[in-house]
Amino acid sequence: MSVDSLKPNRSRTRRGAVVKDVISRWTFMVPAIVLLVAVLAYPLLYTLQISFSDFDLATFAPSSWAGTGNYEDALGDENFLNSLVVTGIYLVLALPLQIVLGFGIAFLLNAEWRGRGVVRALFLIPMVVAPVVSGGIWKIMLDPLWGVITWFLGLFGVQPIDWFGDAGMAMISIVIIDTWRSVPFVVLIAAAAMLALPKDVFEAASVDGANWWQTLKSISLPMLAPIIAATFIVRWLGAVKMFDVVVATTNGGPGQATNVVNLYIYRQAFQLLEFSTSSAMAIIVLVITMVLTFVFLWGSKKLEDRL
Amino acid sequence: MTAVNPPVASHRRRSAKAHRTRVWSGVIVCILFLLPLVWMLLTSFKQQRDIFSSPPSFIFEPTIAQYVDVLTRGGFAGQMLNTVIVAVGASVLSLIAGAMAGYALSRLRIRGAGVIGALILASRGVPPIALAVPMFLVARSLGITDTHITLIIAYCSFIVPYVMWLMRGFFLALPKELEESAMLDGCSRMGAFFRIILPISLPGLLSTFIFSIILAWEELLFALVLTNRNATTFPVAIAGMAGDTENGANWGALAAAGMITVIPVVILALLVQKWLIRGLAEGATKG
Amino acid sequence: MSHRNTQRSHRKAVIAIASISAFAVTLTACSGGGGSDAPADGGGLGTADKHVKITMMSNDAFAETWQEQLVPEFNKAYPYIDVTIDSTPYDSLLAKGLLNGTSPSPDYDLITLDDPWTPQLAEAGVLLDLKSDAAQWTEDDYDWDDFNSAPLASSEWDDGQYGVPLRSNLLVMLYNKDLYAKAGLPEPTPELTWDQYMEQAPELVQDTDGDGAVDSWAVGLTWVRGVLSPPFWQTVLNSNGGALFDEDMKPTFDTDEGVAALQTQVDLLEYAPPGASTYNYNEPLDAFRQGKIATLFTWGSAYKSAAVDEAVTTLTPDQVGIQTMPAGSEGASAHRGIWSGSVFKNSDNPEAAWALLQWMSSKEGELWSSANLGSFPARKSTLASEPAEPWLAPVYTAIQSGFDVAADGEMWRPRSPDSNAIQEILANETSAAVQGDRTAEEALDRAASEIKELLEK
Repeated sequence: MSVDSLKPNRSRTRRGAVVKDVISRWTFMVPAIVLLVAVLAYPLLYTLQISFSDFDLATFAPSSWAGTGNYEDALGDENFLNSLVVTGIYLVLALPLQIVLGFGIAFLLNAEWRGRGVVRALFLIPMVVAPVVSGGIWKIMLDPLWGVITWFLGLFGVQPIDWFGDAGMAMISIVIIDTWRSVPFVVLIAAAAMLALPKDVFEAASVDGANWWQTLKSISLPMLAPIIAATFIVRWLGAVKMFDVVVATTNGGPGQATNVVNLYIYRQAFQLLEFSTSSAMAIIVLVITMVLTFVFLWGSKKLEDRL
Repeated sequence: MTAVNPPVASHRRRSAKAHRTRVWSGVIVCILFLLPLVWMLLTSFKQQRDIFSSPPSFIFEPTIAQYVDVLTRGGFAGQMLNTVIVAVGASVLSLIAGAMAGYALSRLRIRGAGVIGALILASRGVPPIALAVPMFLVARSLGITDTHITLIIAYCSFIVPYVMWLMRGFFLALPKELEESAMLDGCSRMGAFFRIILPISLPGLLSTFIFSIILAWEELLFALVLTNRNATTFPVAIAGMAGDTENGANWGALAAAGMITVIPVVILALLVQKWLIRGLAEGATKG
Repeated sequence: MSHRNTQRSHRKAVIAIASISAFAVTLTACSGGGGSDAPADGGGLGTADKHVKITMMSNDAFAETWQEQLVPEFNKAYPYIDVTIDSTPYDSLLAKGLLNGTSPSPDYDLITLDDPWTPQLAEAGVLLDLKSDAAQWTEDDYDWDDFNSAPLASSEWDDGQYGVPLRSNLLVMLYNKDLYAKAGLPEPTPELTWDQYMEQAPELVQDTDGDGAVDSWAVGLTWVRGVLSPPFWQTVLNSNGGALFDEDMKPTFDTDEGVAALQTQVDLLEYAPPGASTYNYNEPLDAFRQGKIATLFTWGSAYKSAAVDEAVTTLTPDQVGIQTMPAGSEGASAHRGIWSGSVFKNSDNPEAAWALLQWMSSKEGELWSSANLGSFPARKSTLASEPAEPWLAPVYTAIQSGFDVAADGEMWRPRSPDSNAIQEILANETSAAVQGDRTAEEALDRAASEIKELLEK
């Protein structure tokens, strides 16, 4: 009798404790989920809906079911596919450069000295300046006729380079400007991460006579791996949205050489008022970035486990 | 004992020189990086006709007319204020939600949270245009277009995933047993989070906070679509100035606007540096 | 056991998400749909006790000037109408206009529209037809016929008049008299032909300070990929009697004249400063202001900042001439660019809104605007009158002749609900030709087939 009456109680309290524990864990996720569902779920569902319909401008609402028509239009649009390629080229050039440069500079800036804080605060500024202004000032500096960089290079006998007029150079110029704007982010995250690294491991290594390359390879990199991966992923998602700098400098040209996908979709929607096609394109881009993000996440997890 | 001394001495000499090289390289890199800003600063003090001289003019008649032009433009002060309100509001909200979610993803074992986290993160890849128009439609039906709260919540859509993922990275770097000892002492999970994890992660938190502010600071598209005049932020004004097809864009004024709008963030960063250093010192003593 | 609990919480989460989304969808579904019709009485013009409030979404460039200078002047005639003018960046004006026009609770009564946008909004049915729907509120002395037909036509569509010209503009040729003198060439006259101009161009590339390096070039215009670039070769084509489209919107530019016109634009790049292939609106203007180029093909409104405003330019009005663009076989060429004002159909105060537009575009209003705000008029009477500033006199002459020419040759950007899409195709192909990626002929053939495909959809 007593045993039977005890058992249900104990299992109930254990279940209760487990439920409480799960709830307490989930509570951490709840604010973010609620916020994002409120703000992302409807727009994404709406975009999905109109990507499968024809859009009536007069009532500004989807009208009839169009099946996969919009997707076929999007995938058949040569310029859209080209913009995906252009964005891909930009990412391949910009991302590794920004990560390597960022962590390298962070290492330099982390040296302990009095001006460190001020230098770090100043380093922020390129990130903060309005993208339109950054792009415009860089365009003026790089101008073959009156740019100060052209003038400076001219002192060494370098002929004026058509930074924005030549298709290849235009992409490089965009990468340069974007790197200038985004490396501070990597630098500051990396600097914060490096600061949090326990110092005793490094002291032990230097006492053991390890040079900087060995320290880097066996100690710093493994410890920084999670942050490197996190920064890469965040920067990748930011870079996919490249838009302002291109508009301020090349406007997608020359030809289609810098017509990144975000700019192309923006034009489809805001100037051509093609809302259903642009929604289909946006969903396609979302799917691609989701797949790639999952790949990067899986890769970084493997990296973390190994190191 | 004596065998230890010589290596330590030479090692100290080596590391002092390496240290100095490091500091100086850092300074040089910093200067190189900031040169375009110097040019922007110079441009903001030039008359328009001096900006496009060939060869570029380093000596010119400086003027503050551009700054006056920007500051006296109708509504500029209001737009700056709106930007501050929206940026701080969105960042604080996102920091709370994002840090908690990042913590859950990094140190709490929750089934399915990983997938949800990955989805949240990947949602940042959606072109903002796809979100802006439906957001506008919802805001309009709720009657809250052109208000601060609409922008704040809209900005959370891209800041929360950002914060979440960054903080996850920072939390992962902390030793695994940190909150366990506190919880053994009877602390709740939430309590351990706020009392132990957060203070130690202060550098990460503050950096993420500043970046959230910066993300919100430069955001243009949502502000363009969701506001008309009451909650307009200054990126909209700058976009208008740059797209002037009547007189051509006034790059002097734009440079001035760029400089002015940078100042609040730099001040904030300098302040945060102080807390950062203090927080680090405390963290260091805790070992 | 914990597994079941997590499953339960998963389910709860999914239900929560679904219901929130469903709620949101119904919200928008309920409020979607067309706008309400204007009240039969038009909202009136206000009384001393009850002012009427109207709002206008306007291009950023003139919103502030209008709000601060024009509205007070307007209020002298209509003291009970409160006008708020919001500036909206150019790129988002069309989309926001459409969103506003289809809203059940619109924020704006008025909008300024750039040349090619009226067809799109008119087709969507969001604009008021001023000659029919608003006829009851039109003043008796509002003279429609005094308008030059070219600027008025920019807000006309499908036999309806959906707007009135507020700021008129024209592509013109500005030239630097000193540089022409240094090259030993006569100043351009209205009779100058494109062939003659192309002959003169190489001579305008000169070394003016004798240091052995070329420091002055012949020409600047918009070459960068964008919608401002095709109008140039379109103007050349028009001056030779060609047109972009025929009445049925079939491309008629993939002809020998079209190819020659585009080739002109490509060839002129040779005589332009380095980096000119990325010239948008600002860059050639800045080059001209610095005295680096002899000719500038741009909007006439640039004259003031190119020749008069000391803080901005190194040139003076004596040094800068203004002209219609060179002539082709059919006569001079011009290209119209008009900002018109339109009233939204779903406005609650169409009478007051139309009163504002009428005042702005009336004879008195135009005279006032051109004198005080420097905007260019559209009325024959205003252009024939004595301008307030002496340097405006040649500008007015150029504009009036430009309007005459533009009306004859239909010289403006393509007008159709698909005009933006058409312009993007033209922009892409023009840029490809300018870059040398394609020959002019290939570019135009591609553009023609892409546009045909677009219009068939």
